[in-house]
Amino acid sequence: MASSSSSGLTFKLHPLVIVNISDHYTRVKSQMNPPPVTSTSATVNGVEPLQQAPRVYGCVIGVQRGRTVEIFNSFELLYDPSTHSLDRPFLEKKQELYKKVFPHFYILGWYSTGSDAQESDMHIHKALMDINESPLYVLLNPTINPAQKDLPVTIYESELHVIDGIPQLIFVRSSYTIETVEAERISVDHVAHLKPSDGGSAATQLAAHLTGIHSAIKMLNSRIRVLHHHLVGMQKGDVPCENSLLRQVSSLLRRLPAIESEKFQDDFLMEYNDTLLITYLAMFTNCSSTMNELVDKFNTAYDRHSRRGGRTAFI
Amino acid sequence: MEALVTQIQGLSGTASDVLSLQNLLKQADDSLHAESTRLPPFLDQLDPSKHSLGYLYFLEACTAGPVTQEQASSFLLTIARFISSCVAEQIRLAPDKFICVCKRFKDQVLLLEEPLRGVAPMLTAIRKLQLSSEHLTALHPEFLLLCLLSKCYKTALSILEEDIFEVDQPRDLFLFCYYGGMISIGQKQFRKALELLHNVVTAPMSTVNAIAVEAFKKYILVSLIHHGQFPTNLPKYASSGAQRNLKNLCQPYVELASSYSNGKIADLETYVEANKDKFESDNNLGLVKQAVSSMYKRNIQRLTQTYLTLSLQDIANRVQLNSPKEAEMHVLQMIKDGEIYATINQKDGMVRFLEDPEQYKTCEMIERIDSSIQRLMTVSKKLNVMDELMSCDPLYLAKAGRERQRFDFDDFDNVPQRYNI
Repeated sequence: MASSSSSGLTFKLHPLVIVNISDHYTRVKSQMNPPPVTSTSATVNGVEPLQQAPRVYGCVIGVQRGRTVEIFNSFELLYDPSTHSLDRPFLEKKQELYKKVFPHFYILGWYSTGSDAQESDMHIHKALMDINESPLYVLLNPTINPAQKDLPVTIYESELHVIDGIPQLIFVRSSYTIETVEAERISVDHVAHLKPSDGGSAATQLAAHLTGIHSAIKMLNSRIRVLHHHLVGMQKGDVPCENSLLRQVSSLLRRLPAIESEKFQDDFLMEYNDTLLITYLAMFTNCSSTMNELVDKFNTAYDRHSRRGGRTAFI
Repeated sequence: MEALVTQIQGLSGTASDVLSLQNLLKQADDSLHAESTRLPPFLDQLDPSKHSLGYLYFLEACTAGPVTQEQASSFLLTIARFISSCVAEQIRLAPDKFICVCKRFKDQVLLLEEPLRGVAPMLTAIRKLQLSSEHLTALHPEFLLLCLLSKCYKTALSILEEDIFEVDQPRDLFLFCYYGGMISIGQKQFRKALELLHNVVTAPMSTVNAIAVEAFKKYILVSLIHHGQFPTNLPKYASSGAQRNLKNLCQPYVELASSYSNGKIADLETYVEANKDKFESDNNLGLVKQAVSSMYKRNIQRLTQTYLTLSLQDIANRVQLNSPKEAEMHVLQMIKDGEIYATINQKDGMVRFLEDPEQYKTCEMIERIDSSIQRLMTVSKKLNVMDELMSCDPLYLAKAGRERQRFDFDDFDNVPQRYNI
């Protein structure tokens, strides 16, 4: 379970797979109600103790064209702890069904959740080797780490290494890229922007919306800053000049909306001014209401002759 | 005495030394006052820029007694030099002494009838005494008085621009705003004058004071000049004493305002003639005349709301001017001041009234609105702080608790019935 793969295959992962795995895990975890008392017995080889974090298993399917492996979809499987293997008949039935709809898709491997690949996973891996001679193992780490910037997904391949004179299959990590189809982009976007359903008032929704926009702009700003810093370094000569990067940057810049016409300026400034005026008006109203309350309190406290006889009846 | 001088010279170094020096000086204050005639030579031994606190005490004792004409000008020089070279932190330790010295300075300047000499030193004195630019000291009204008497209004404008949030004494605020209003009128900045006079009239006062009465008279006149109307009721944040009594005390002005609102110049002028001496005794005749001439402007502005184009002759007739030439002059002046938007076609003597050309499309407008928003945010923060302070004020809580209606006993309430401190 180390180093990087030397098979030279390029892996492309679709977001659908990640969402599927995470959904599976979340469902199983929330259905484990109440959470089981953890048995802290030592791990006997092959037996997974029921931990707070259940492990879920499934298969990944996709297409392999030449050296590129593209993982499109996944489905769930039951893990049988007695035989330490996945449910074989079910897998074959599912495979047939998927073949009818997607004739090009093959079973590329399997997935599971956890923080790291384990020894017992090799059994499952070997069991799948009769379907695919070099299956993949996709591992999702469900623990939420706010400091982590990358996706907690790793793809492992199996390689035959000689360790202590014995040839053994071990897992090696592979790098992958994320590939998206338009439909996937829309749904991922939708999932990412899910608002809390009880944040019903307009204020919280507006605040959530504006916060989203704010963080997006902040991220854009930091990326541009990084790029700018790099280019300045290139100009000064600290960083070796990369022509391909420069070409990419210039093509990006040329894609910017470069409307310079006067009508655009007019409309843009007018709309900008309108927004500013609305903000101004809102602040004004806010200020006036505070002022009004303050004046009322002041008059109650310090004005000798104001409002004798109490306020009007509440009802 | 010499011992005191050496102590001052020794202890003016660090801040803690200065504090101990201050205690010494407070104890020695009486002896200083007793020997006031002997003190001037000691002043030369002290350096105002280093030993400001000690110098201040000595100076205050020196000037305590009556001052003759010859001594006055030499004192003026010493005080002016002291003000320009003293250290602000040391001065702020003994603010009342400093204020005392500056007030005597002002008296002597007035005695010599050269108010202009006092303007610049007083300005430096204010800047040194102020804790922040939002702080109103007792020196502010003195400074404005000197500016008024010496007719140099422009120097006062920088002080008037600042927003004030802290005031030492209420009387300072009244005088400051009143003088400030007069200076703004002198500079023809009627909007600022209106704001300052409004502050005097609506400031909290348990009984009506003379400053407020005078300010109210000018307030009526300036609001007629600037707005063309006078609101008959003071806003609710004016003290109740002011709301009831001010109008009774300024009867001729209130009647002037009501005849102004009728729109007939002839009536207005007859009224002014009838009450001329009353206006003159208040030194307001000049303002009254300006108010009368602003009537023409008001009428022309009313025309813009009804007509798109009008001939100069028609304008003259409607506004009761004597000739189209005068009408043209008035309209031209108003266009220059930005009070109306119009174009005059001289060939056929027609005036065409236009809309406000501001399209809110420019970057300058963005900057203006942005700066207004920033200012409003700071004001809003301050207001919130004040609101919280007010809510915790025991006087308010006592009265708020008392005035509540008695509801059913299971209505919850969050203000105690009786607030005992």
